[in-house]
Amino acid sequence: MVSHTRKFIAKAILATATALLLSPLGVLAQSAPDKSSSATENSAASKDRWLHVRVISSDANGETVRINLPLELAEKVLPAVNHDRLHDGKVRIDNAHMNDVDLRTIVDAIRTTKDGEFVTVQKDDCDVRVAKENNHLIVHVVDKCLHENCKNEKGEHDKAGARKSQVEIKVPMKVIDALFSAGKDELDLVAALRALSTQGDTELVSVKDHENTVRVWLDSKNVTE
Amino acid sequence: MLLAKAALGIGGSLALAGAYTFHQGLLRVDVDEYCARGAHVHVWLPAAVVPMAMHLVPESKMRCASEKARVALPLVHAIVKELEKYPNTDFIEVLDHEKHIHVRTHADKLQIDVQAPDQTVHVLCPLSTIEDVTSQLEERAPRA
Repeated sequence: MVSHTRKFIAKAILATATALLLSPLGVLAQSAPDKSSSATENSAASKDRWLHVRVISSDANGETVRINLPLELAEKVLPAVNHDRLHDGKVRIDNAHMNDVDLRTIVDAIRTTKDGEFVTVQKDDCDVRVAKENNHLIVHVVDKCLHENCKNEKGEHDKAGARKSQVEIKVPMKVIDALFSAGKDELDLVAALRALSTQGDTELVSVKDHENTVRVWLDSKNVTE
Repeated sequence: MLLAKAALGIGGSLALAGAYTFHQGLLRVDVDEYCARGAHVHVWLPAAVVPMAMHLVPESKMRCASEKARVALPLVHAIVKELEKYPNTDFIEVLDHEKHIHVRTHADKLQIDVQAPDQTVHVLCPLSTIEDVTSQLEERAPRA
């Protein structure tokens, strides 16, 4: 009986030792690139808010840039960056570069003002519109590109608009408020990101011209479509 | 019988050592420069070896390394801690006719791939290894 037990224990130890010996192979196999599962998985993190940047260039190089950034990651990492004017998630604004414009007062004024258009410029070569709509600050710029270097192959300005560039920026007022919530000469980036993360899916920036398309948007997916 | 026991003991120890050595997976660095005298670096080693090997580095060298990395350490620490929450995610991808840059996490590893006409770089490093290395550098940094 004792002999049987000893043999059984020896076998059990041997089996355990073999399993442990082989386990690194399993780890190795896992560490090899697995192309079948290379597609990004939707993890629990997909519930978070993601900031996406996509740049598509249709020039000769045909460059495409895709950035997917979890807002939570940016919130946590930014305070760790201490470089130049960026400290503790806040950017110091130098008054010398503001041309005596009190940004805070302007923001306060915009916040308390009702929805409406603040700036409208309509010129031959460009249109500019700055407005407040549904608690969003909207900046819309259309550059019709009538410069010499914007002529088409025939040497004419393209009236169809193929050469025009269009910029649309839509920022929630809450984000702007948070951005200016720090000290007098500071922009609180972390507070702005926090405010941004409470917003629903929205497109923040869109730039289109004849060669490039830039989009910055916010949603809860961890992949760009 | 004695021989069998000795073999079992050695086998068991080797198994445990192997399991510990590979528990963090592999650290992989491949660099190929396609030019005259271009570097070709290929390092594949168990990731757990790196923090272990750091214990063998002379104190003065470690202090020097910690001092140099001091500014970046909190940032790396914060990034790694956050990246661990996103084990399989594409973060940055740059693609054009000539080059392809990809920064992602894959199975709890940071993966950086660069393919360009003049060089190819593949880095695959377990996040836990970066965390260990960062922690060791922080611990061994000279006190202010």
